[in-house]
Amino acid sequence: MLFNSLPFLYLFLPVTYFVFWWLTTKTRRYAWLAFTGYVFYSFWNYKFCALMLFSTLVSFLAGLGLLRWQDPRRRRLCLVVPVTLDLALLGFFKYTNFALTSVNGLSTWLGAPTHFAAFDIVLPVGISFYTFHTVTYIVDSYQRRITPTTSFFEFASYVSLFPQLVAGPIVRFRQISDDLGNIDRAEETRDLDKGWSFFVMGMIKKVLLADTIGGIITPALANYTELSTLGAWLCMLGFAYQVYYDFGGYSDMAVGLGYMFGLRLPQNFNSPFQALNIADFWRRWHMSMSSFFRDYVYIPLGGSRGSRWAVSRNLMVTMLLAGLWHGANWPCVLWGGFIGLLLVVHGFIAPWWERMPSWSQRAGTFFLFVVSLAIFRSDNLTMIGGMVQLMFSWHPGPNMVGIEVLTALLLVSGALAHFGPNTFEMEHRWTPSYVTGFAVAFGVCLFVLYGSAAAPFLYFQF
Amino acid sequence: MEASIRVKSRWAMGRVVPRLVLLACLGDVGMRLERVDPWTFRAWEALSAYRSPAAPFEANRRFEKTDSYGDLAALGNMPELRQYRSEVFTTDALGFRNPPGAWSRPPAAIVVGDSFVVGSGVSDDETVTSRLGALLGCPVYNAGGIDPDPDRLLALARKLNLDRGLVIHQFAEDFEMPAAPSEARRRYQKALAALGPEVGSLVGRVRGMLTISPLQIASEHALKSWENGRILPNRYVGRVVRGRLASGDSMLFLSYFFGKFHQKREVPTAYWTWLQKELRAGGLELAVVIVPSGYRVYRPFLVEPKPKPGEAVDDYPGRVEDDLRRAGIPALNLTAPLSAAAAKGLQEKQYLYWRDDIHWNVQGTEVAAQAIRDGLRDQLRCR
Repeated sequence: MLFNSLPFLYLFLPVTYFVFWWLTTKTRRYAWLAFTGYVFYSFWNYKFCALMLFSTLVSFLAGLGLLRWQDPRRRRLCLVVPVTLDLALLGFFKYTNFALTSVNGLSTWLGAPTHFAAFDIVLPVGISFYTFHTVTYIVDSYQRRITPTTSFFEFASYVSLFPQLVAGPIVRFRQISDDLGNIDRAEETRDLDKGWSFFVMGMIKKVLLADTIGGIITPALANYTELSTLGAWLCMLGFAYQVYYDFGGYSDMAVGLGYMFGLRLPQNFNSPFQALNIADFWRRWHMSMSSFFRDYVYIPLGGSRGSRWAVSRNLMVTMLLAGLWHGANWPCVLWGGFIGLLLVVHGFIAPWWERMPSWSQRAGTFFLFVVSLAIFRSDNLTMIGGMVQLMFSWHPGPNMVGIEVLTALLLVSGALAHFGPNTFEMEHRWTPSYVTGFAVAFGVCLFVLYGSAAAPFLYFQF
Repeated sequence: MEASIRVKSRWAMGRVVPRLVLLACLGDVGMRLERVDPWTFRAWEALSAYRSPAAPFEANRRFEKTDSYGDLAALGNMPELRQYRSEVFTTDALGFRNPPGAWSRPPAAIVVGDSFVVGSGVSDDETVTSRLGALLGCPVYNAGGIDPDPDRLLALARKLNLDRGLVIHQFAEDFEMPAAPSEARRRYQKALAALGPEVGSLVGRVRGMLTISPLQIASEHALKSWENGRILPNRYVGRVVRGRLASGDSMLFLSYFFGKFHQKREVPTAYWTWLQKELRAGGLELAVVIVPSGYRVYRPFLVEPKPKPGEAVDDYPGRVEDDLRRAGIPALNLTAPLSAAAAKGLQEKQYLYWRDDIHWNVQGTEVAAQAIRDGLRDQLRCR
């Protein structure tokens, strides 16, 4: 089920909301949130609910073990077993076929071809997200940063909380445990306006900006060889805003839904297109993911301690893994490597970079991100080469269909993303005329939802 | 001050937006109470929307539209390729497309099959059964719109007083072959048939209201007018293939079937043998008429996309005909008469299939009816 779908708006959300506030005790509210999370998930594929339940049970039991045992060996066991299991499941579903096809390709290149047949594996939607939820819970419990919960329903509601279930933000237990602990004392109306404000803005970003841009650039990129240089740049610019408003919109909706249920989910995008350099960009873009890789990969590898070479290595490893997390394919890995390289280079040239005017730092950072998207958006290595060639050498060609609308959308999207405040910087206390404006835009979103099949969010695939 | 706060709280997001959602939901429900007819582009959708589960269409209805157009033009969102035509579509008490009085005497045959039998895109007097009836001088019953289920056909034959008659299964190669129903399916079909007409009609109405939203259709229309390939890319364009004929006109084909054209398909002889046996047990004989796709008929005359020279083409209709005859089932392949007539009419721009539709037009049904009359002369008898 998608937030931008009519069954969600007309049925799931009202029922979940009213029953939640009708229930009064903690356990009942936990149980209801957990149950609705599974219902929400089952609309995609009910068979994979068992997988999520298994992961939840294993992690919960590991948490109990960590709460009970002080013996380092047992504690290590409570860390290693569930994390290995979780990552093995993620690895099996997401990376098996990638590994097999890569081995086949590599062996052919080496002259001793293998022919491993790919498995018929369906990637459970959101597995990357709920796996990271459980992994952070176990690691944080092991490191005594949090006290594991003894309430199964509390934990289950954390893992399967529908606003963040399938596409994040990757909420850590410590970020939400206070609100979960006080769930029976939450006030229904305290953040209701704020919640709807976030939700409406997220819907507008997703439906009116991201999907419309996507509707223009997707067919153009499907025949990318016919693009002109201008078309290729417009497509990549469009994709930058599409992915930002798609995922940023989803995150806003998730945060808004959290507010409706008395839960404060963390910020996921902090105006990344206003970043001054590529390191700053990664602190602002998909913050819950980048902080996960920082805290659970980069720092354990040594972080920014040690020689310049060691720091560069840590950065490259972290970003290659982040790339792999985004997609089990070589363009994503390459993209991670490219971003890693930019971060390494930035480490060397930071003093020089910072002497530039801030507008050029911002423009340069955005330019590098847009270029990186030529790798990220490509289906294969041939397309990467083709797109880079199109972007950096002159190719005349016919105008793409919808270029006028795309240009207008890029101007609006750009103005908002580069110069406007983000949703967390807003007060969300709107005057009646603003509310009317938002309501009209939301009405247009509903109209679009009626007229077109709801477009899934880009980040569902990760 | 207090009044201003009251106004602000009334106009808060948490109040206005949920009410807007509720309003949209109520509007949707309200629109579903009305018939979908004004929102449809042809009769098929209007008359199948609220059909009883036991029938292909709503019973005893007459639908008239002067500006119907083809399913492929609609599917590919290509308004510039629409061929507007007048369509009159009448159903009988059983929900099949037959004029009033179709039961007045036993028909020469019952013709069962898909939308080619029903006559999607043509008027009542232009369907293949109407044309065949006119040629024979006695009625031919149009049972198009249902799978050839022996239980339903035998029950229908009894209602039509057709004793020891002929059932023609008209099989369009474009469409998926029906499978022999399971026992559970047959029991389910019988239970549906046992529903009274009032109950069936009520069930159909409720199901239609639940599944069809006029608001959705209206917004789809509005969005499609923007997604016209000029303002915004036409995302529906991939559903159809636009061909250009030697006559200079364009003709649309369904991408799905276009892609499957070169695949060698199995001939499900076992299914027809089973059907023949079941019908025979009830005193009915089976004949199969194979209808070629518009692409097969017009492929030799395509300038674009030009078929590759020497490209192997599987003569699926021919193989079906041969295999059925070997199995002792009378079969008639319409490819040859339709191809010959298509070649003859091409330069005068007289076509047998709509250029914006999968289906044949009245010229096509006329050729088909003549071929059926000639090919099944021994089996077709007026009563």
